[in-house]
Amino acid sequence: MRNKEEDLIKYKDGNLYCELADIWIDPSKPVKKALITHAHFDHFTFGCEEYISTKETAILLKERIGDNIKIKVFDYEEEFKINGIYISFHPSGHILGSSQIRFIFAEEKWLISGDFKLQKDETCEQYKIVKTDYLISECTFGLPIFNWDETKKVANNISEWITNSPKKTSLLFCYSLGKAQRLLNEISQTNFKGNIYSHGSIYKMNNCYKELGIDIKETIKIENKKNIDELKGSLILLPPSLSKGSYLKNFKNIQTAFASGWMSIRALRKRSGYDKGFAISDHADWDGILEVVKKSEAKNVFFHHGDSEALRKYLIEKKSINVLLFGK
Amino acid sequence: MSLIKFSELFCDLDSINSTNNKIDVLKSYFLSNEPIDNSWAIYLLTGKSNKRFISGRYLKNLFSQIYDYPQWLIDTCYLKVGDSAEVITLLLKNKTTSRNKKLSNISLNELLSEIIPNLSKLNEEEKNLEIKNIWETLPEDNHLIFNKILTGTFRVGVSIGLITKSISKLINIDEEIISHRLMGDFKPSIESYEFLINKNINQEELSSKPYPFLLANTFEDKIFKDSINDFQFEWKYDGIRIQLIKRSGNVSLWTRGQELVNDSFPELVEKMSTIKDDFVLDGELLVWNFKEQIAFDFSFLQKRINRKSPTKSIQIKYPIIFIAYDLLEINGRDIREIKLENRRIELEKYYLKWQNKTKNNITDIFKTCDLIFPKDWTDALTFKEKSRENNTEGLIIKNKKSSYTSGRKKGIWWKYKVDPMQLDAVLIYAKGGSGRRAGLYTDYSFALWKDQELIKFASAYSGLTNIEIKELDTWIRKNTIEKFGPVRSLKPEMVFEISFEKIQISKRHKSGIAVRFPRITKWRKDKKINDADSLENAYALMKKIS
Repeated sequence: MRNKEEDLIKYKDGNLYCELADIWIDPSKPVKKALITHAHFDHFTFGCEEYISTKETAILLKERIGDNIKIKVFDYEEEFKINGIYISFHPSGHILGSSQIRFIFAEEKWLISGDFKLQKDETCEQYKIVKTDYLISECTFGLPIFNWDETKKVANNISEWITNSPKKTSLLFCYSLGKAQRLLNEISQTNFKGNIYSHGSIYKMNNCYKELGIDIKETIKIENKKNIDELKGSLILLPPSLSKGSYLKNFKNIQTAFASGWMSIRALRKRSGYDKGFAISDHADWDGILEVVKKSEAKNVFFHHGDSEALRKYLIEKKSINVLLFGK
Repeated sequence: MSLIKFSELFCDLDSINSTNNKIDVLKSYFLSNEPIDNSWAIYLLTGKSNKRFISGRYLKNLFSQIYDYPQWLIDTCYLKVGDSAEVITLLLKNKTTSRNKKLSNISLNELLSEIIPNLSKLNEEEKNLEIKNIWETLPEDNHLIFNKILTGTFRVGVSIGLITKSISKLINIDEEIISHRLMGDFKPSIESYEFLINKNINQEELSSKPYPFLLANTFEDKIFKDSINDFQFEWKYDGIRIQLIKRSGNVSLWTRGQELVNDSFPELVEKMSTIKDDFVLDGELLVWNFKEQIAFDFSFLQKRINRKSPTKSIQIKYPIIFIAYDLLEINGRDIREIKLENRRIELEKYYLKWQNKTKNNITDIFKTCDLIFPKDWTDALTFKEKSRENNTEGLIIKNKKSSYTSGRKKGIWWKYKVDPMQLDAVLIYAKGGSGRRAGLYTDYSFALWKDQELIKFASAYSGLTNIEIKELDTWIRKNTIEKFGPVRSLKPEMVFEISFEKIQISKRHKSGIAVRFPRITKWRKDKKINDADSLENAYALMKKIS
């Protein structure tokens, strides 16, 4: 267990905190100053006095919590200084605007990976390797059973899934920010040429992406109790929260699927209650995490987000990398 | 390419919920593949063989050696995935893409008739090399099928009934015929598939096969509304269901699990051979207490089931009887379409004839089942309550006007058990006992079907004799899929009758039900796992009680 006094970044009340700059990273409670890696709901909270993020994240954030927040924006790789610490954002390839955050103080580098993926994704900036002494990495899929297929392959599977059932309405559930836009982009490059509809929450994010210059396919906003009969053979993107309950009664003759990295496991697929699962993720798989650990040249690694026990043991045993645990 | 087709079929069947869609997928598979591959596909899908060539543990060790993954890491992955074949498949992903070797397009037939059987002929070192070679040359989409067949864990949401329906629709022939053709041994070959899809129906081809069994449904209260006179009442014997066939002079005894058990009951085969007519009888085989004219306990029968060529002294010590309750075929004439009441008349007529005309006394091993004649439903219930006195399980109530169809169609036969708190369940886990039972696997967990999945519903440790415990312990050690600490997950193969006192809804259990005082009341060696009860049956039981 580690929570050394001299560590630049510590684990405090369940969040990452830099004491020297009095700044929190993706805090789950309102604080004075918050660095935000990306605009997913589990990475920010309402009510902070000041937010700092990339330009894209700021726009998405405002869409989600309102315009009247105080937010400072920086470009990728643009260094800024707080209390003598040099801080900079670097692309993490997770969703539009997502970043890794690097801290440099007294010639010691700390890197917070944020959520990241290495796979190519045309709707956001590609992950960039950043060298560091200390790495704090996410570990959502930290087991070697997670090996993502090429995105093209998954997109083609989705396209076939839709076109093989022309009489059905295909409901594809996915996170409304990031995953939905990536899927739209990929699916529009497959053989499926039918209509694509999206739920309001997704439609809103699509527009943000477009405003930020990301070229994604136009979708039709799905209205309740409308055009139900025209939906045959088309694709509808919906957030996972609508998969249970009465919302599905709005449709007739449907097939459902969930797009998530967890869907690579048969038992989870079966248990999920969806007809089909497509394993596609905006997080790194096992090899992806190993690659980042290696290429970052970090001598010391911490993991958070996910079950990191196996990865930690593996790195220590096999790669002789010093993997540390945060003290609680 | 055909193994890829089969992998696709597996994938489709695994993700489709609608029965009609499954049938469509199966039909188009059968249409677009070679007869020999179709034959193997049917063999696998109907679960005719779940032979384990290599254990999951062995496969994981091998993977660990070849690709330098620590064993503990693979075990951690297993906890997430729950199936060794799938763990290896997932771990192999992207591992083999960097290979330079040419991918091999093998057929299902090649895999099952050559590649896998050949593995067992190799020594360990050669075998390991061969498996590695297959992993690295087989297209990635086929790994799951290969690993599953290898470890004997191939299962997908398809029942024999569904296969029957698909073939029936494919060639436009009655399901009953297809179901009949699928009975008994099924050896994968071009011939066996062509026989299955033959549009000409030829009685003789089927001569060695038993008819599909008619199964009873659990009694429903709504029957009370019907007239008592519509039904024939029999005792529900607690023996082995047997179809006793004599055709062209040859006698064969088929169990419901479609096993030929002539060798276990030679005295019955011998006696029945002396009857002049040919016939097919449906009935129950029991160990019989001739003095009191009631059945001995099921445990006596167990002493006979698994013993091939029993000695004379065993035959005397455990005397058997065949109690016929239906006549399905007489001298080559299939009479299943005739109403039950008329079949009964035929049965009695022929029995009388055989009794008088057969040189040997057949009555010491073969009788017809006695009928019961309750005056009204209250009277029927009184009979039911008495059934324990004569060692029967309750009543079988049969619609007099019904013909003999296959499967568990509602409204034809009903079973009305005296003790309804019983379910047949599949053994899936075992745990080591403590104290007197230390060193033996004596704590068991049992599962019921939910769709095609086995869901744990109860744990029990009492009810087996010491000899049975030892026997089961040996079996458990040989049929372990995984070990987690003291617990072993087992190949689903053994069926047990579980009795309990109370059944209620429980949110804490995955099955959604909890039972009180579960105990093993019978080791149903005569049943296959597909004969085990479903969670639906359990829910029905609960409804009935409340």
